[in-house]
Amino acid sequence: MTTIQEREVALVDLIDRLLGGGVVVAGDITLAAADVDLVYVHLRALITSVATAQEKGLLPHMGSAV
Amino acid sequence: MIDLIAITDHPGPPLPGSLSLQAVPVDGLTAVCAPAEREDATVDALWRREETIEALMADRDLLPVRYGTRLEDDAAAARAVTERRAELGAALDRVRGAVELSLRVIAADDPGEARADDETGGRTRSGADYIRAKACLVARRDAGARTLHEPLSTLARASVKRPPRPPLELLRVAYLVDRPAVEGFTALVARAQRSSPGLRLLLTGPWPPYSFAER
Repeated sequence: MTTIQEREVALVDLIDRLLGGGVVVAGDITLAAADVDLVYVHLRALITSVATAQEKGLLPHMGSAV
Repeated sequence: MIDLIAITDHPGPPLPGSLSLQAVPVDGLTAVCAPAEREDATVDALWRREETIEALMADRDLLPVRYGTRLEDDAAAARAVTERRAELGAALDRVRGAVELSLRVIAADDPGEARADDETGGRTRSGADYIRAKACLVARRDAGARTLHEPLSTLARASVKRPPRPPLELLRVAYLVDRPAVEGFTALVARAQRSSPGLRLLLTGPWPPYSFAER
């Protein structure tokens, strides 16, 4: 994932994974789930604007970002 | 304070020196920790985390840890890992030698007025005709997206479907793919894209196995 454009396409996937995936270990988690939810909502708004631009053809189509 | 970012085997290859990471050995596993991120979870901070985990993933198997797992110190990290030692070991074995690929299938256009009109050849028709024509287009499109999944899943060790995001996203799947099979998987997606002009296939990765770390 090197170019800016690849990162825009992959951002949805990154956020889904970092904030919604990964292994959960208990212990003294200080970044509360509610904080993460807020971050998620904020970032999703950003992504929606990128996705909309893409769907309207403002960003070139990418068949694969691998 | 430290951020717990990944669980790996112990001993493993040395940690990349440039990243200020710290290895905490715990009963045959290593908890990889980083200095606590000072910034809130901005896009840049998320990408930095991803780059760090990808650097680790280059030469070892790992379980990425849920973002935001912040602990007091090494001892707290060791306690957290010990509590789930058995599950973590089993999960690490499950993802060993594999990476995650993400596929999203998006409708290239909205099956709205224009295409529904085309199907009637411009004849005057009732509202019911219009709704039927549109439903038919949507059903065909959704079936096309679903049929993509089956051949891809045979190349994967495991897969997890997530709810697609309406209105245009039709399919959202994470695949756990053996490292040597990634090239073949990518080629199959490229072929599927060529034979599906009405769909956009967005394949990203290889990702650390975020979607397969928990059952």
